[in-house]
Amino acid sequence: MKRASLKASLVVVIAAIVLGGVIAGLLPSYWVFLSTSVLITGVALQSLGLVAGRTGMIALCQMSFAGVGAWTVGYLNLAEAPGGLAVWILIGGLAAVPLGVAIGLPALRLRGINLAIVTLSFATAFDTILATMTYPGQTDFLQVPRPELFDSDEGYFVFVLLFYVVIAVALEVLSRSRLGASWLAVRHSERAAAAHGVSIATAKLSAFAISAFVAGISGGLLAGYLGTLVSENFSMMQSLSLYAVAVMTGAHFAEGAIIGGLLVVMFPEILRRLDLPQDIGNVLFAIGATQALSTGETMSETFRRQVRKLMPARVKAAASALASDLPAPVSRAAGPALSIENLTVRYGSVVALDGVSLTVAAGTVAGLIGPNGAGKSTFIDAVAGFLSSYEGSISLGGKPLEGMPAHQRARAGLRRTWQTNRIAPELTVGGYLALAAKGLSASETKAILGWLDCPDPDTLVVSVDAGTRRLLDVAGVVAARPAVVLLDEPAAGQSHEESVRLGQRIAEIPKLFGSAVLLVEHDMDLVRAVCSEVTVLDFGRVIASGPPAKVLDQGSVKKAYLGIEEESVAA
Amino acid sequence: MNALLTSAVAGLTAGGTYALLGVCAVFTYRLVAVVNFTGAAIGTAGTFVLIALYEAGFPLWPSVLAGIAAGTVVGVAIGFIMTRWFGEASASTKAAVTVALLVGIIAIGLRLTGGQHPHNMPELFPGSAFRMAGVEVTIASVLTIGLAALFTILADLFLNNTKVGLNLRALADRPMAAELLGIRVQMLSLLVWGMTGAFTTFALMIIAPQRSPNFMTLSLLVVPALAAALVGLFRSFWRTLAGGIGLGLVEGMASSVDSVSQYRSAIPFLVVLAVLLWSQREARWDEAR
Repeated sequence: MKRASLKASLVVVIAAIVLGGVIAGLLPSYWVFLSTSVLITGVALQSLGLVAGRTGMIALCQMSFAGVGAWTVGYLNLAEAPGGLAVWILIGGLAAVPLGVAIGLPALRLRGINLAIVTLSFATAFDTILATMTYPGQTDFLQVPRPELFDSDEGYFVFVLLFYVVIAVALEVLSRSRLGASWLAVRHSERAAAAHGVSIATAKLSAFAISAFVAGISGGLLAGYLGTLVSENFSMMQSLSLYAVAVMTGAHFAEGAIIGGLLVVMFPEILRRLDLPQDIGNVLFAIGATQALSTGETMSETFRRQVRKLMPARVKAAASALASDLPAPVSRAAGPALSIENLTVRYGSVVALDGVSLTVAAGTVAGLIGPNGAGKSTFIDAVAGFLSSYEGSISLGGKPLEGMPAHQRARAGLRRTWQTNRIAPELTVGGYLALAAKGLSASETKAILGWLDCPDPDTLVVSVDAGTRRLLDVAGVVAARPAVVLLDEPAAGQSHEESVRLGQRIAEIPKLFGSAVLLVEHDMDLVRAVCSEVTVLDFGRVIASGPPAKVLDQGSVKKAYLGIEEESVAA
Repeated sequence: MNALLTSAVAGLTAGGTYALLGVCAVFTYRLVAVVNFTGAAIGTAGTFVLIALYEAGFPLWPSVLAGIAAGTVVGVAIGFIMTRWFGEASASTKAAVTVALLVGIIAIGLRLTGGQHPHNMPELFPGSAFRMAGVEVTIASVLTIGLAALFTILADLFLNNTKVGLNLRALADRPMAAELLGIRVQMLSLLVWGMTGAFTTFALMIIAPQRSPNFMTLSLLVVPALAAALVGLFRSFWRTLAGGIGLGLVEGMASSVDSVSQYRSAIPFLVVLAVLLWSQREARWDEAR
């Protein structure tokens, strides 16, 4: 477990012990009973926060998953299964998992809106099915028994609190893991996540499976709380209003889930005491969610921002570390690291690349240049596996890559950076490096960040300036120490001094990390300084290749770049 | 056989309504880039204005007009929220906003109309239009399907054959760019919202007597509507039309088979699942990211 997760987990546990002790020990029974309901809603909200908050998908059937969990608990009770409530609840959670995965499947390749439609239609279908089947034991008035130790209202409160804390800590640890970082990365940009070797399918389905599991548990807890249930407990309207609350408070934060639970439970209670209709609550949640969506900030995020403002500002120094802490280079055989033969890409009738051949030798830095629209980005997309089809062959260290999707090419040792920034802003600098390079130690992380003048690992990416984020992109790919690194205009937007320094770093990559580099760049000084071979593209064709000093002086290259004829250059 | 045909034809009114709601959803998506979950709720609001006026003793047809006007106003109001605050937001943020608004509208609607309290919804077009193969085809079904087809033709013509339509199509994702071309985006968007509001209200008035007319049930007709729109992949009006009518027919048939009739509201879910799994055979990356 990482230090940061340990700290956050401790905060959750201590807060739970203090608040739990106060509530169970001092408050009257009725309030303890209501607080239990807050916690159960909080568990359901945490499950929703995972898909809605972290992976950014619209999920509208969370209470249906809860219904599956509750139904399973009811069924096990009716069947007098061994194990008691705690075990039944876990089985109920597991029962919801296959459904979560099945419903996540249609959302694998298409984005959020389709998932919203699938989940909403599932919630409708589930409503009818549950109403027809009735809840097990409902007709015989059979109650779900609570464990003996936790039978009183205070006892059951503690029982639910235990579940809440375990789930909150587990989610906290998960969110700081590479899997958690991949959820944020997928939310921000699926392509960029795949370029780090993240399987989009695994990321999305795991989020769905875990979310369904937690939702199923919340349903099981509700079964023990109320004893008997009716299908209305899990109706679509409940799912919809839960979604609105999750959006409003930011349910993927521990405090967001609790604030949401408080709103859902206490607001109707207050309205009831004021003799006002209780369903006004949903109107408030709708307004709150709309407000949160328009500002792009949930209640939890506002809260955290205010707290940060109050804290004395800490000056974040650039990561300083010893160069000797850099991870050891991976030694590779000499010869071609990446070879591309006759690569042709067509968009309809337009030929973007026409029979391009290029080789990058191991241990070298090669350059790919050409005017705008020459096909450089298409070239990188094709090589890294982001185009659905191309002709020709691409092989990495002699192994053909055809038929491999982007994330597998990345895992095989072919990494790329992007012209535009695609790093998820919610990640920390260290978290981003952990996502890009599996199993990097803390000192190695610091060393790589120091090597590229990037900020401290604990810095949030959102507070890093655009130029430095581009360096961070480079840090990410080299940290993985792949066989080949494709750098897409890393010096764009850098000042001359920064670009000179970056050039020195790029030249060191083969020696320090054992990776061959293909540099796509407009900065000719940079290309001259670091590349041993240069290939020039124009209108999708290779017009020259060879050592930079020779190639850059060719008339055809000057013409392609400057648009002037050879004669006038000579004159 | 004849029984099955009878029940299939009985599903035609619903099919026409789904089709019209679906076509409106596609229209909204293609012109203002919003997947609108409040579509049916807007129509429901208008329908309940009709019910309230009718129950208060006002004459039927003026009440219908007032109801349609109310639906238009609600549509424009939601359109105002979407264009005012979410014009440049991403497609999924906009969809999330309409989900949140749906929660609010249903809550307000249930409160104002007394929840599950039964209402007296007048049948606007009683009687049968003609007999086909020994089965009565109702005026209501002919009307909803006719209206859906009319809207499909108009939408198709507008988007493909008018200059404004073409510009809007090209620029639905970038209202700012359209604005720079001199198109009055805000005005046009509100027009789209108002128009779809009027059409859905009328469609819901026709189908309401067949359903239990409570605010939530009617608002949730958005589910089969979006399923129909998915059949057209949110692009083709004609396929959406066919998808909606097909959905109604299948539901009608299912209701005549005892063993599945209770589960017939699961049909849109199965359709959505099938369409999505089929349409994503080939990998595609999220647009431009």
